[in-house]
Amino acid sequence: MTIKHTHRQRLHRAGSWLILLAIALWCLAPLAWLGITSIKPQGTEYRIPVEYWPQRPTLENYRTVTGERFGVQRSILNSFVVSSVALLGTLLLATLAAYAIARLRFRFRWATLYALQMAGMIPPIVVIAPTFVLLRWLGLIRTYWAMIIPNMFYAVPLASFLIASYFANVPYELEDAAKIDGAGTLRTIFRVVLPVAAPGIFSAGVLAFLGSWGEFMLANTVSVGSRNVQTVPVAILGLSQAFELQWSWVAAGTILTLVPIVVGVLLFQRVVVTGLSAGATE
Amino acid sequence: MPALLGLALFNYYPIVQSAIYSVFDLDSTTDWLRARFVGLANYRTVIGSGQFYGTIGFTVGFTVAVVLLDLSLGMLLALASFHVTKPLRGVLRAVIIVPWAIPQVIQAAMWRWMLNSDVGPIGDLAVRLGLAAEPPLFLVDQVLAIGSVFLAYTWKGASITAFFLMGGLALIPREVIESAKVDGARPLRRFASITVPMLMPTIYVALLYRSQDALRVFDVIYGLTGGGPGTTTDTLSSFAYRSYFRFAQFGRGSTYAVVTFILVAIVGVFYIRRVRKNFNFRV
Repeated sequence: MTIKHTHRQRLHRAGSWLILLAIALWCLAPLAWLGITSIKPQGTEYRIPVEYWPQRPTLENYRTVTGERFGVQRSILNSFVVSSVALLGTLLLATLAAYAIARLRFRFRWATLYALQMAGMIPPIVVIAPTFVLLRWLGLIRTYWAMIIPNMFYAVPLASFLIASYFANVPYELEDAAKIDGAGTLRTIFRVVLPVAAPGIFSAGVLAFLGSWGEFMLANTVSVGSRNVQTVPVAILGLSQAFELQWSWVAAGTILTLVPIVVGVLLFQRVVVTGLSAGATE
Repeated sequence: MPALLGLALFNYYPIVQSAIYSVFDLDSTTDWLRARFVGLANYRTVIGSGQFYGTIGFTVGFTVAVVLLDLSLGMLLALASFHVTKPLRGVLRAVIIVPWAIPQVIQAAMWRWMLNSDVGPIGDLAVRLGLAAEPPLFLVDQVLAIGSVFLAYTWKGASITAFFLMGGLALIPREVIESAKVDGARPLRRFASITVPMLMPTIYVALLYRSQDALRVFDVIYGLTGGGPGTTTDTLSSFAYRSYFRFAQFGRGSTYAVVTFILVAIVGVFYIRRVRKNFNFRV
């Protein structure tokens, strides 16, 4: 019996590796190509036939993109500031909105839901020009706020919807018990509902963060070439020479800007897991 | 009393937010009004042109195909992440999120580079593996261009869909699945009669989000094929963009943008209706 058990476990572990391998191949193959391209001497990435390993691997591209000319590391900082602040704002607004929609009874509740979600359906192209005008009027062009404020709102519809779907799963009894114990609405939200909905809020947070991280049109428009506020995608698509994107540079830049994200996901992995188990024991 | 105060806050808050949104909406509709002012002819030309229907057709077809691909691949990824043993699970989730972490404009450029028929590895590998006599012209051939757009879009979309579904799967109590196991339900049956129904709210959110995103797709199309060959892979958004900035036809661009919004809104309202019934929102 025990022998059979360990045998099954081993099979499970082997299967796990296999799954990991297959998924890694799908998700990471394009990145592997970027990685290879990033260590090719600049210019040789256009060689025919295709080189799967550079004859003379070099880190020169990394030096170039972090050097004085481009300073991609600055854009990572910019993106980080913009995305984090926007994320906090989004989560606060979205959580309150989600609670209102999932739990509170008030007039225009469904109208609010539709109004909220409709706002998320407007094609971005339509929004950019008027937003630019508005931000210029507010004197925010070339500042972080020009990206933080719009991105904060862009993410609210989806985030509130996602969080509401988790709130819908929280048993009413939990809340009612808290209310009977004399907790106010806000207190009930923070002490009872939030812990249970933690995984949903976390997913919404990740979405919001990466949404502003990857947003290009607005960031490109409002940074107007200022390297001090350029976010990652804007900076990377600026890695050109004589109006031509230089692929070895783009590859190096992309790899560099990905590092903080991957580290972040690995770090937060623990937070989700503890959040999940906390939710289960409530 | 505190409850009333809370209610006031929540009533007040969405109104303020709607007000801020309405600024954006209003601003964007000024374009629309201007287009209308220039003449209803814009709408008549657009609706009368064959291009319009081709573009709508591709946009809708693209959305259906891509959402189905996203959902099924995403489901596979999400289920896999729960099947994998503990220490590997974290790594796997980090790997799954990677495609989503790369900004879409950069992805589009990346795929264009990889699908390049002279220096791209995909065409080259196809030749080396004997799948093609010479590197296929991925972005020139009509069918291949459509396939390339699907591939590039799904690569990113599946990862985020998987992420959604993981959150939903985590909420399903283990005991339910265990007891089904004890009852002798086979994996496929467990999936169909327990996992999917319990996952429904999450699936709806994912569907809503992905189809809205797909209907408005722009970055991938613009960066990868530019709507080509010809206008084969033009979506409403990419066509609107070209009307705006390439042809400086603001009226026509706006018309397309408005149509996109209407299309997305119809789908959105449909989903929200379903979701309202599906969720146990307190009524």
